[in-house]
Formats: sequence, structure tokens, C-alpha cells
Amino acid sequence: MQSSQLSFSVSPSSGVPIYRQIIDQVNALVVSGRLKPGDALPSIRKLAESLEVNMMTISKAYTRLEMDGILTRVRGVGMAVAEPDIPTSASVKERQAELRPLIEQAVLRGLQLNLSNPQIIAVVESILRENRNE
Amino acid sequence: MNSPEVRIEVSKLCKSFAKQAVLCDVDWTIAAGSVVGLLGTNGSGKTTLIQCLLGLLKADSGLVMIDGENAWDLTARTKARIGYVDQRPKFYPWMNGSDLLQYVGAMYPNWNSALCAEYAKQWDVPLFKPFGKLSPGEQQKIAILTALGNEPDLLILDEPVSSLDPLARRAFLRSLLEIARDENRTILFSTHITSDVERVATHVAFLHDGRIQWFDELDVTKERIRRLRFRSKNNFPASFTIPGALHIQIDGSLVVASVAATSEADIEAVCARYDAAVEVEELNLEEIFLELHHVDA
Repeated sequence: MQSSQLSFSVSPSSGVPIYRQIIDQVNALVVSGRLKPGDALPSIRKLAESLEVNMMTISKAYTRLEMDGILTRVRGVGMAVAEPDIPTSASVKERQAELRPLIEQAVLRGLQLNLSNPQIIAVVESILRENRNE
Repeated sequence: MNSPEVRIEVSKLCKSFAKQAVLCDVDWTIAAGSVVGLLGTNGSGKTTLIQCLLGLLKADSGLVMIDGENAWDLTARTKARIGYVDQRPKFYPWMNGSDLLQYVGAMYPNWNSALCAEYAKQWDVPLFKPFGKLSPGEQQKIAILTALGNEPDLLILDEPVSSLDPLARRAFLRSLLEIARDENRTILFSTHITSDVERVATHVAFLHDGRIQWFDELDVTKERIRRLRFRSKNNFPASFTIPGALHIQIDGSLVVASVAATSEADIEAVCARYDAAVEVEELNLEEIFLELHHVDA
């Protein structure tokens, strides 16, 4: 996919820092396969201009994504999606354990909102459908 | 920014007006390349602080250093590297914008008229009407132009967007982002519009009770100042406390605490002690502003 077709959007007045909103969006694009290994990301300057935010914010997001192994610096291209480095060495159990605290927060909130078990699970399933591109 | 050069150093700055203390022992260091949003309530002393930083007001005690020079006694060379916009710009009312820019530009060794013309076009500034006949917003735009023409290394703006309509504000913020792209440039702007700070600033400072109450990177600020909701099966005691608390509200088995820089370990300790579950709520800058001033949103 051409980087020009990627649409990022940030909400500066959110409690979530802008650089983390960008990290989340890149992660989502990669996980869903809309961004594939080798695909180029918009340049820092371009993205900062189009989102009307400070360049340092974009630079910080890209640097973190690079440290996480999601992006890689390619000469002449800039930032591109890295080859997936799925922690296959970790067992399913270990990977589930990593996921658990994140889901726990969401489930607790669901209980507070008085949602039933199937209703909570339906939300998870719809998120999976949206992001697995199925 | 990793530049070791320190741009502004404030130490033990005090300023009173008619025995009323406005600034008390302000200590503050702004590194080169930062874009700092200065927030504070009306009358908190933002303008006084800015004018002391620039040597426009004499401090009662304490010291402000700009690039190693005492702010009260800046050399012409350093003054030429500074741009400043007053909250209420005052110029000769009979002069039009075009003449005014020429007049101000003549005082600087380096003046970029082409840049001024470019911004004037971008912001739709009427350059051929007498300054006194312009609306406050138009006057403010011209004042900003006079502060940018010398392409300053240090740009200080006191409520630069207070008179601008949303369209003009966005256009100005876009330009400010462009200006901030030069990493050696330091920008300080005061405002009460928190969303402007969120878009542009790298750092945020809160002036409260005559002091810099909080100063940190914007992202770090958002990550450190948070609201925690603890829920337990039992009622919380009135003595409930947590390290870093700004404000605690106890309501039976529910505690809502706004905290600054509280560690995860401290949060876990509270959960364990009261057999409670915690929900962490991230706050935007406006909510952080309210929490730092102990105002219930």
C-alpha cells in the first residue's frame, strides 16, 4: 500500500499522548495487514504537516516503533514496516499472559457497564473481525 | 533535544506589585529547542513572568539568564535574536502594517521582509490600513509578524492567539509548527487554550501560586498525571492516601484520586492493602489543568 493512502488521525485533546495514538494506529495497520513488510511510512515531516502536530511527536512515535521492531529504517526510503518478528519462541501460554492484563482492564469496565458475558465477548469478536480483515 | 546549550535559566525570581507577591522564588530552566506552553489561571502572573524573562520588568530579587546573559542587561546582539509579542500590542496607530514592518525591521541587523510578506499572505493580514483602524485580531497578527521578521532564535509570545478567530488561530499554529521545525529555536508561549498547547508544544509549564508548579514534557505530563478509580468490596477509611496524590475523593467503597508521578508499585500496594481493583483514566491537558488547581471538573 502506498503511504500516501494511509490515513492517520490524531486527537490532540485526548488523554492519550499523540505519539502513542500514532503508535497504536501503525500497529493496527500492520496487524490487519493493510501495511505489509517493506511498505514505506510517510516521512516525519509529511506526517507532522498533515496532522498539524510537532515533528518531534512523529519522530518519537517512529523511534519507539523501531525499537519495538515494528518499523525499520531503510536507506533511501525512510521508515518501512519491518519483517514480522513474532515471538514464536514464547509459548501460547506466555503470549496469553502478556495479553491478559490489557484485556482485564477492558473486561472490568464492561462489568461496570453492566454488560453480560456474551455482550462483552461480542465486542471482542467485532474488534477481531475488523482487524483481521476477514 | 540533546543540545546541552541552556537557553533560559531562572533562579529564585521574585516580583511583587504594591506588596502583593506575584512571583515567589521561581526556579525554571528551559533548554534550547523546546517549545513550551505556559499555562496558568487569569492573574497567575504569566505576563509578569514573561516580562521578567525578557528584562522588560525588573525583578525584585533573583536572576534570569538568557544564553548566559543577565536578562536585565542584554547585549544588542542577543536582543536581535529574540522575538516578542505583547499581549496587547501597541504601535503608532497612524502607521499601516507595511510601514510598521519596515520601521521595526530597520532596527534589526537581519530582517527577512520576504518571510514577513509570505506570512502576511498566509494569514490574510491587511497591510495597508492604519494600525489603529484594525481589529484586535488583525493588530495581533501584525504584532506577530514584527516578532518573526528577525527570524529569532528565541520567540516569546504572550497570549498570541487570544484575539484570533479559530481559522486564524489554526493558520497561526501551522506557521508556529513550521517555525518550530528549526531544532535550535526555542519558543515560549502563554495561553489559556490548552488544545493549542497539545498540538504544538513539546513541554508544558503550569504557573500557580507564584511558582512553576509543574514543568515537563507534554507526553510525560499526560502519562504521569492521571486519575485512578479504586473500587473495593469494603468502605475506604477517611484516612485513605496514596503517594503523589493531588486530590482524593472518598465515596464509600469508591475512591477517585488524581495523582502525579505515582509509581505502579504504589498503585499495586493500594490495591493489595484494600483488596481493591483499579481503573486508570488518562487525562487531557484541560483536565490536568483543573486537577492541578484542585477544581472538580
